[in-house]
Amino acid sequence: MALSDQSPNAADSGQKIVVDGVSKAYDSVQALSDVSLSVREGEFCCIVGPSGCGKTTLLRTIAGLEDADRGSILVDGDRVTEPGLDRGMVFQEYALFPWRTVRGNIRFGLDRPACDCPDCEQRIRELVDLVGLSEFEDAYPKELSGGMKQRVGIARALAVDPEILLLDEPFGSVDARTRDRLHDELLDIWAETQQTVVFVTHDIDEAVKLADRIVVLDDDPGTVQSTVTVDVDRPRERTSHEFVECVARIRDELGRPTDASQGITKDKYC
Amino acid sequence: MSTPTDTGSETLLDMGVEGDLRRYLRGLGGLAIFLLVWWVGALTTQPSYLVPGPADSARAFIDLFTTSTRIVAPLAGLEFVLPTGLAHLTQTLFHYIPGLLLGAVCGSSLGLAMGWHGVLDDWLRPLVRVLRPIPPLAWVVFAIVWFGIHHTGAAFIVFVGAFWINFYAAYGGVEGVSDDLTDAASTLGVERDLSMLKLVALPSAAPQLLTGFRTSIGRCWMIVVGAELFGAPGVGYEIINAANNLAMDTSVAYMFLISLAFLAMDVGYRLLERRVLAWR
Repeated sequence: MALSDQSPNAADSGQKIVVDGVSKAYDSVQALSDVSLSVREGEFCCIVGPSGCGKTTLLRTIAGLEDADRGSILVDGDRVTEPGLDRGMVFQEYALFPWRTVRGNIRFGLDRPACDCPDCEQRIRELVDLVGLSEFEDAYPKELSGGMKQRVGIARALAVDPEILLLDEPFGSVDARTRDRLHDELLDIWAETQQTVVFVTHDIDEAVKLADRIVVLDDDPGTVQSTVTVDVDRPRERTSHEFVECVARIRDELGRPTDASQGITKDKYC
Repeated sequence: MSTPTDTGSETLLDMGVEGDLRRYLRGLGGLAIFLLVWWVGALTTQPSYLVPGPADSARAFIDLFTTSTRIVAPLAGLEFVLPTGLAHLTQTLFHYIPGLLLGAVCGSSLGLAMGWHGVLDDWLRPLVRVLRPIPPLAWVVFAIVWFGIHHTGAAFIVFVGAFWINFYAAYGGVEGVSDDLTDAASTLGVERDLSMLKLVALPSAAPQLLTGFRTSIGRCWMIVVGAELFGAPGVGYEIINAANNLAMDTSVAYMFLISLAFLAMDVGYRLLERRVLAWR
């Protein structure tokens, strides 16, 4: 993976992920239209936008689960053509293997490249502990709550130690209190693993809580409206003045018609 | 499959037990009425072989286990002596089991392959459409000319029956594999189609596969008896053999023997299925 210094694109910008003019249509619906953005190594980047603005499509294209019609995705300067173990994915509806226990799910990726790591068992135990499911390691997904399922989803993606973690509205179907806890846990994990994170959500609060930088997508068709760097110290309090300001700022960006932002800088701060 | 969510309250628990008891008694009542109707029907019908009575049938059933018969195992040529009922049941199983297992393996393999592989599906779908509606018993003529109507011929007919049931179960099961799961697997390093089939499609389709197999257990009992009516040795043959001698009570005894054999297999299989599918 140490190809970054050979690639002019990544070398120029020091970026981990470069999305370069990506367009994608399903039948007649234009999901993404000439989307360009980049994510720095170790950055926590949230993509927000209304439903149907193509944010999930964008994430899936970075994951290599979809092909772009035009444009390209570069990770460390290498063009993405298929899914890879360098990019872990967490799914909106968990996508756990129902026939595998918590341990079995976490283990799935470790078994793939016929992992002969002698410390597989140790690693699984650590991950189970990390997401706080030690008492449930032999439970099947059907026995778990939504929040617990998504903890397994995260641990499963982390197991193969990806450099990039992609999350598609991961906490969309868990209750508000659990979501707050999961936010803190995810930030702790991120601080520990130093991964590059791309997190898709339609929840502005969630984005402001988590992100270093927020990419605002517009629908009709999916384009980058603007990117907003969130310059608020962590841990962030939802009730703090800066937080509320920032949420209002993003909401403002979302409401702005696309042409109003054209010709002016798309990089903003709050 | 579902577990009661609320058994905490005593009255609810009582009602549950009472409800079970009531259902049990009603079931017994239904059986008693059936026996009565059967008995009256047998008494009032002449000649008596038209409707053999419950008592005669029970006696005939007991006779199946108090007399013994010598049978020969196919292929091995081993001879052994068993109580008559068991002997003929064993003869049936000699073609039922291989036909069922081979049909299930071949049918579900083809179903998996076609459900998973679009090109294969394109090639074979019209052929399947044409062959599928043919009732397994219609193949009896070919069973006779190809294998002779003995164990192999009967096994072939059972094979055809098991094949299609398991084929459709596997085909539907693989088609129902969620894209989310295959996506998750591919982000976790599953690259080859065959690995995806083994690691995701097969376990995901397991419930349908197992249900298909259970359905084929029952259907193949119907088919096997049909095949034996054409002369293959076994309980089905004994039903018609006894009837030819107007020993209708013996025919009834064999009918119940088939029912018992099926019930035993079905119950056993359900227990197995519940263990294998504990994750559901």
